[in-house]
Amino acid sequence: MSALLSVQEIRKAYREEEVLKGVSLELDKGTTKVVMGPSGTGKSTLLRCINYLTPPDAGRVWLDGEELTRRNLNRLREDIAFVFQDFNLFTHLRAIDNVRLGPRKIRGHSKKRADEIARRELERVGMSDKAQSYPAELSGGQQQRVSIARALAMEPKVILFDEPTSALDPELTGEVVAVMKLLASEGMTMLLVSHEVSFARSAADEIVFMEGGHIVEQGRPSELFANPQNPRTRRFLQMITDHHDPDTPDRLAGAAR
Amino acid sequence: MIWEIIWDQMPHLLHGLSVALQLLACLLLVGIALGLTIALIEVYGHWSLRFLCTVFERVFRGIPAVVLLLLFYYGVTDFIEMTSFMAAVTALGLRSTAYQSQIFRGAIQSVPPGQLAAAQSMGMSKAKAVREIVLPQALRHAIGPWTNEYSSELKATSLAYVIGVVELTRQGKYIISSTQGNVLIVFGVVALMYFVVNRAGNWGLYRFERAVTVPGFERRAS
Repeated sequence: MSALLSVQEIRKAYREEEVLKGVSLELDKGTTKVVMGPSGTGKSTLLRCINYLTPPDAGRVWLDGEELTRRNLNRLREDIAFVFQDFNLFTHLRAIDNVRLGPRKIRGHSKKRADEIARRELERVGMSDKAQSYPAELSGGQQQRVSIARALAMEPKVILFDEPTSALDPELTGEVVAVMKLLASEGMTMLLVSHEVSFARSAADEIVFMEGGHIVEQGRPSELFANPQNPRTRRFLQMITDHHDPDTPDRLAGAAR
Repeated sequence: MIWEIIWDQMPHLLHGLSVALQLLACLLLVGIALGLTIALIEVYGHWSLRFLCTVFERVFRGIPAVVLLLLFYYGVTDFIEMTSFMAAVTALGLRSTAYQSQIFRGAIQSVPPGQLAAAQSMGMSKAKAVREIVLPQALRHAIGPWTNEYSSELKATSLAYVIGVVELTRQGKYIISSTQGNVLIVFGVVALMYFVVNRAGNWGLYRFERAVTVPGFERRAS
């Protein structure tokens, strides 16, 4: 098994409802995968099961050849960064301290080294000038960029993004997508749950389409967007590209003209 | 005439005030230490411990302070050697623990749980995440309601009168007994002393709250 992240047969049920019915996927180093699909199909649950934020009922996860267990969970989590839909920045800490916390208190770097890392990562997401701001003083897009910097500062092997732009209005989505595109181009290994068609098209190596707790189809974005094999995939992609993709003329707007 | 008496007796009143403040400090410290522990157990603990804490907290919030004082002084001292001051610290301290546990529990629960998840997702243990992320925010949230607890408990120290702690109220009573009368003026002065300490404490805590607040935390209206 050469994949950096390997997920085998993950199952998760809430009460009677089985949300994940045995999902497997692999992520190679330096690649980006985007998980798409209708809401309620277990995409976010899958992501949270990978680092045990939501413990799966069954299934196994390997990172770099090492299997995740209760024992090594915290050590492996240091290498699996997670970016949340609603940012979850630490309210009482300035942007720079949010980013510095991981290197200093978890990685155990010296104060100076942690500071260097924090400044470098804030710079990378274009938030250097807001280093001294508190989360409440930042817009949603800025908060998400800081939270990406916080993830990067852990110097992780892979970053999981759980709908990173879903809490943002379209104006702010752009700045976050730009940062994610930059990371993908720099060779960061990323797994995203996202409906950002423009990002998926241009930056993803592969699209995974999920429905009803299963992966129903996966492939390169050029193939999947152009010629989806599964009828459910086709309907879904048609719907989101019609409504959300600025590259595709909006049919309703066209009709009104 | 009466003002001369008050002036002469002032050292006694100040001594009484000092005893009241010592009692207050002790019972509040007991309340912070145990109250915070109980709050953490009630939020994060095993259900059996949670149950015990809830029982404790209900019992001590459900019994009048004077009855607790009498119980501890006349009841418990039969088994354990205790001065009236120690009995007062224990009774009022445990009662304050019950109230403070609810202040701290609410404050801990007001920190968005997503932040705990974020810290854990970085590889922090839960205990460390609570210490680094939850408590610094929860304690800020707690200052406002805690100020109220300070006021309440300052006034409650006067109840230690009933088990013979020679605190401010009892000193006032002694002056009245030894000078035959002047109830209104002596207790008026006593009342003023409580009031001044109360306001001073509130002012100090308010200043403290403002000093440690950061954007994103709601401030009390001044």
